[in-house]
Amino acid sequence: MKNMKTYKYLFLLLLSISIVGCSDLEEHPVGILSPEGFFSTVDDIQIAVDASLTHAINEEIWGRKLSIALMLRSDMVNLQSTQTRRVEMDTHSITGDNEMVYDPWIRIYLGIAAANNAIAGADDVTADETIKNPVIAQAYFARAFYYFHLVRLFGDIPYLDAPVEGDAAYSINLTPESEVYDNIISDLEFAKTWLPNTVASRAIPSKAAASSYLALVYLTRAGTSDNTYFQKAFDEAKEVIDNKETYELDLDPDFQTLFNADKIDASLEPIFALDYNAVEADDNSYDQICPMTGVSGDEDDGGWSVAVPTMAVYESFEAGDYRRDVSFQTEATIKGALVDYTNFTISGNGSAANQPYIAKYTRYPGQYARGNKRATSHNYSMIRYAEVLLIAAEAGVEIGSPLAVDYINEVRGRARNGGQSTSGGYTEQAFPSSTIPADLTSVTVADVLEERRLELAFECKRWYDIKRRQLGDQVFGASGYEGAKPDWNSAVDYDTPIPNDEIDRNSNLTN
Amino acid sequence: MNLKIKLTLIVILMLNITLMAQGSYTIEGTVLSATDNMPIPGVSIIIQNTSKGTSTDFDGNFNLDVKQGDVLVTSFMGFKTVLTTIANQKTLNILLTEEASALDEVVVVGYGARRKSDVTGSVSSLKTEELTAFPVLNAEQALQGRAAGVVVQSNNGGEPGAPIKINIRGNTSINASSDPLIVVDGFVGGSMPQAGDIKTLQVLKDASATAIYGSRGSNGVVLVTTKKGRSGKLNVEFNSTYAVQKTANSLDLLNASDFADYQNQIRSNQGNSNPYVQGDYDTDWQDKIYRAGSTSNNQLSFSGGSDKVNYYASGTYFKQDGILVNSGYERVSFLSNLDAQVTDKLKIGLNLTGGLSAKDGVSTQSNGSVTVGGDDVVSLAMRFEPDKGIYDDDGTFSVSNLDAPVDNPWAVATQRDDNTEIENFRANFYANYDIIEGLTFKTTVGLSSKNTFRGVYMPRTLKITAGGATDGRAIISEKKSKSVLSENYLTYKKEIGKGDLTLLAGYSYQKTTNKAFLSEGTGTLSDSFSYYGLYTATNLISPSSGDVYVNETEIQSQFGRVNYDYDDKYLLTATVRRDGASNFAENEKYAIFPSAALGWKISNEDFMKDSENISSLKLRASYGVTGNPSIAPYQSLASLASIYASSNGITVPAVTPYQSSNADLKWESSYQANFGVDLGMYNNRISLSLDYYNIDTKDVLMFDNSIPWYFGNYNDEILTNVGEINNTGFEISLNTRNIVKDDFSWTTDLVFSKNKNTVEKLIFGADYFGNGAPSYFSVDNNYILREGEEVGLFYGFDYAGVYQGGTAPAGSAVMTGGVAGDPLFLDLDDDGKVTNADRKIIGNPNPDFTWGITNSFKYKNFDLNLFFQGSQGGEIFNMTNVQLNNGDANTTYDYYNNAWSTTNTTANQPRVGNNSWREISSRFVEDGSYIRLKNIAVGYTFPSESIEKLGIENLRFTVSAQNLLTITNYSGLDPEVNYYGASGDNNTSANTVRGFDFGNYPTVKSVNFSLSVKF
Repeated sequence: MKNMKTYKYLFLLLLSISIVGCSDLEEHPVGILSPEGFFSTVDDIQIAVDASLTHAINEEIWGRKLSIALMLRSDMVNLQSTQTRRVEMDTHSITGDNEMVYDPWIRIYLGIAAANNAIAGADDVTADETIKNPVIAQAYFARAFYYFHLVRLFGDIPYLDAPVEGDAAYSINLTPESEVYDNIISDLEFAKTWLPNTVASRAIPSKAAASSYLALVYLTRAGTSDNTYFQKAFDEAKEVIDNKETYELDLDPDFQTLFNADKIDASLEPIFALDYNAVEADDNSYDQICPMTGVSGDEDDGGWSVAVPTMAVYESFEAGDYRRDVSFQTEATIKGALVDYTNFTISGNGSAANQPYIAKYTRYPGQYARGNKRATSHNYSMIRYAEVLLIAAEAGVEIGSPLAVDYINEVRGRARNGGQSTSGGYTEQAFPSSTIPADLTSVTVADVLEERRLELAFECKRWYDIKRRQLGDQVFGASGYEGAKPDWNSAVDYDTPIPNDEIDRNSNLTN
Repeated sequence: MNLKIKLTLIVILMLNITLMAQGSYTIEGTVLSATDNMPIPGVSIIIQNTSKGTSTDFDGNFNLDVKQGDVLVTSFMGFKTVLTTIANQKTLNILLTEEASALDEVVVVGYGARRKSDVTGSVSSLKTEELTAFPVLNAEQALQGRAAGVVVQSNNGGEPGAPIKINIRGNTSINASSDPLIVVDGFVGGSMPQAGDIKTLQVLKDASATAIYGSRGSNGVVLVTTKKGRSGKLNVEFNSTYAVQKTANSLDLLNASDFADYQNQIRSNQGNSNPYVQGDYDTDWQDKIYRAGSTSNNQLSFSGGSDKVNYYASGTYFKQDGILVNSGYERVSFLSNLDAQVTDKLKIGLNLTGGLSAKDGVSTQSNGSVTVGGDDVVSLAMRFEPDKGIYDDDGTFSVSNLDAPVDNPWAVATQRDDNTEIENFRANFYANYDIIEGLTFKTTVGLSSKNTFRGVYMPRTLKITAGGATDGRAIISEKKSKSVLSENYLTYKKEIGKGDLTLLAGYSYQKTTNKAFLSEGTGTLSDSFSYYGLYTATNLISPSSGDVYVNETEIQSQFGRVNYDYDDKYLLTATVRRDGASNFAENEKYAIFPSAALGWKISNEDFMKDSENISSLKLRASYGVTGNPSIAPYQSLASLASIYASSNGITVPAVTPYQSSNADLKWESSYQANFGVDLGMYNNRISLSLDYYNIDTKDVLMFDNSIPWYFGNYNDEILTNVGEINNTGFEISLNTRNIVKDDFSWTTDLVFSKNKNTVEKLIFGADYFGNGAPSYFSVDNNYILREGEEVGLFYGFDYAGVYQGGTAPAGSAVMTGGVAGDPLFLDLDDDGKVTNADRKIIGNPNPDFTWGITNSFKYKNFDLNLFFQGSQGGEIFNMTNVQLNNGDANTTYDYYNNAWSTTNTTANQPRVGNNSWREISSRFVEDGSYIRLKNIAVGYTFPSESIEKLGIENLRFTVSAQNLLTITNYSGLDPEVNYYGASGDNNTSANTVRGFDFGNYPTVKSVNFSLSVKF
């Protein structure tokens, strides 16, 4: 019996120690950012949204790889260097192993995942929808912004609208282009419903941004002939135009302001912009468009002479068009001498060309954090009020609206205002307004497309215009600005190939 | 009144009492050693089958109440137990014979101890004498060459305070740690005590021995117990060692004028007509940065006890001035063990240990990322121009102008502050309760903590490292870790007929918390505040998530073991452990690790019992599963990353998905089979152990980069269980007592280990490449893991001699623009060019075998210990020569004198200034085999007669020398290389980065003087 008692005590002792030590073995991370437990306030949703929007400024998207790819694929910019990946872009012989294909692909999906993270995380936040939804709406906008690029580049794509969980996501199929567009439209409609009319910075999505993008998405969706979508595009664009006071939008009186990093913040014209702040941030989160388009040997912290317009592009601008002065650099100081573009090659750089260069970015980059005008202070307009007018004009022509001609004349009128630009190099110079009035009395689709080409030159819009209007055979023929592009094949080249490495990861993505 | 009189009085008193008791009386006895007739204190004498007993005093005397027919059991560690039957003796002399054979040692195993002869697993034990045969900073060092299957190497040559890496039976992992589990006095994950405080050290190698530690057992287990007090008089022991050290070797580098000539030859070969302008100095940089080092170690211990209470307390002070200028290490530590027999059944004890250390570091084997040239003093001393002085004419430190500018080695060594202070404390309480005959319950509760402070300051006087825009760089970091362990287990022993059964069952819970913090800034106000000037920094640098964190791991386990011995012939051991750990992924929280082993003592069978030659023979076989749980906490969870973002012109916080969760992530599992033979011959004068093992490690953690990009994870790799690695090996351990005479004895211990480490499976079956070169080399992939091959093979071009101009010899090619004198490489793809496709496996760093042999001689009061240790067949990639033959550095006379030139066209080394840039080729692969006289020691023990009157019990003096002699063909500084590559000094890089020699702290030669006094 004595033993029994001992056992009893022993048992109790063991038990008590075991209970003390007993644990559910669940991990409760504090120092690690975990999606469970991260979201508790509306500010937390904003933190996830800001990550989503920031991926777009990365070198892999707007900082260089996507923006330069879009320029090279258009009919306006030639390649002056020899890297294979850029040659493929310029000649339309793009493979799925091209870095300028897979880097934007990877980074855009990072942006989408961050937006999905914000949208899913918002479920954990208890707050009134009038407080919460305007923030979530930014994530919807960001997601639409990214998918809109993807769908225009690749066509059918893998579409995810929630954080990845489980094994099924490893083998998903491509979502058809039309379905992707429907999702983009529905995201933008949500965004338009909840975003505020005006925002503190044009880099923050607003109702006007959602609405303007909807107009552009409808216009794209309309292709060459779908009048239902032309009507929607027209109505949406007109709504923006009619509400320009509410949205605090207007054309900037001086076209040069749009490309001056020091002045752009005060302009009413940008509707949605990517905002760089002279920070050489980690992971290449900064822009390099300036050196990519700049004159090599230019003593104003010269460029690399990679993406350069052809002479024909320069000549396609009328001599009196102020936009030509703003868009092109025709002078540079090289080896101590101020020279015009006919002498740019005296730098001796192998890729230099005796042609006017793109000036929209190198002329007024503001403060910048890295040599060769990298990590600038630019705000790159993703959509601006002039484009909304041109969307309304183009859709208006298609549906027979008499307003179309007014809209295009408004854009042409501003271009004739003149303003404060430079000699083509770095000497400030005032340009008087043109004596020729902007008074088109009739307008065709071709007129609007040409106006878009001039107004939005080198703003990465042209390739998408060529694709949606199926202009390839025309613009890449012998009469095109870049001369004949023998590799152009309209049967395959409108769609970018999905990266081969991604197909290796999921063979269902073969398109 | 002296003690003897007191005792006599007590004895008389007791006699009186016992005379009154019926049939019982007090016997007086003395216990003596049979070898030298010296009394032995602290021997336990128990009356068999009772709890009555006593122990001897310091004169070996005891008194005990006995009655006729009682059987006295006299036992003492290290001696054979003697049974004496009482037949009316009044006095008794008991002679104890030392246990003749190693096979009768007691071996500590997890949660218990076994007679060595009863052990079924593979266990190496180290004797105290081996641990202290020569002074070691870390007890781990004493394992090198002493335990079969155990590879020991410093993390950084002879650096004061460098951690020691132990590898048992090869590494079983790629991305997880291969460090063994260290268990000190039962505390799992303890830090190694001072060598002088260690009583036993065992290395558990096979699964039968380690599976009781379950998920933490697959890298082997080192079990350490510390010294305890003995009942009897106070023992005071003082050990003091002083050593002088110098670098084991230096390279023969060009002096200033030869260097200028060398540079001019390079220029002329490269078509550069500007002559090199020789500087005004002639500096031997190696001589500048190396100095005579010294170490001193002083240990004082007290031990003793009464019948019921024993104590041991020890303090150690160690100080080292490193052989590199400005490097040093200092440590003070203490240990105390207190044990009390509270009642007949209850014993409690407390083990306390702690220490403080401070290290003055000098930058060595840096990864080369600080500036283009790195800030590593050792390689800088070899590279730097000899025609420059420490200072330029303007009084500032000179800077190299050969390629990218770098600070001079003297400046880096003396100007940079790098101080690490570590505080280490542990307390472990136990209670042991004998419940009933044979059934014991033991509970332990332990706490340990370790705090590390590190301050680094790079002053602006280092123009390249921290001058210019950096303007002084200060870094302060702290790491804290603490661990709580509770273990409770029951042990039951029972004899059943001829069988002997031992059962063990227990429960364990351990919680470990780690915290870290780092702050870094540049643009300090002044260099005079060192790193404490951090608060004046004008530019604070955000730390990474790897520098600031808190994490917590919990592990709870149930474990059990059955030992069954039948008739002292057949042995069975079976263990099982179930581990549940918080860091295991959701679907894999619990794991079971079983093992079983059989032993057969053939020598106890009737047919062999009478063998004259064979005194013992045992066969062992075991199989079991163990784990390597090196999954960092939270690694299986989905997580977010903090990234740069801006909104409305200002930087704002932002998070983006970092990784998806991996609910299936689990530990790596090793399936180990072991077969062993233990043989004793000629009365165990020869004892031999042979072991063969095969370890299949599955679910090896590797990074899977096949996650679709459209997941949008910032980290597109995920840790998954895919790889497989195999280790097979053979171990010999031989001890012979060649001569055993009164005045002269000679014993030999030999260990031999052969391990073959094969990659069985890699993710997607694809080659896995890595870089074991500093980042500024700008080379990639100089080692490879390939299925079916050994781990960490060198990868590069196959050097085919010197190009003599004209058409390259068939099958070889020269790099673009090659002219006579440039290196030729095998053109594997036959395209006439040297391209990456011509790279192949060019060397194997893994030795065929390693060995150690110790000979101990004893003549009268003198003893001599000779310990040779060696490694055979491993190759070394001499990256030092890659740098020194590159032209943008000083070079060796060997290259300068023997390079190809128009007047020396038969040379086997390419011309100076050739067209190859830091080439990774077989030209730099060398045989790394070596034989090293690791230790030679001569000791003298003073005869007791001569010191007795001084009150000294034992006095011993030793002179020893380490690394005195090395026989090797390796041309570099030292064949024991340990450059850990560009990835930094994390402890996993050693799994795959092997055999690269570049800028590690050099190995040292030392001469030691030791004194040991016992009162």
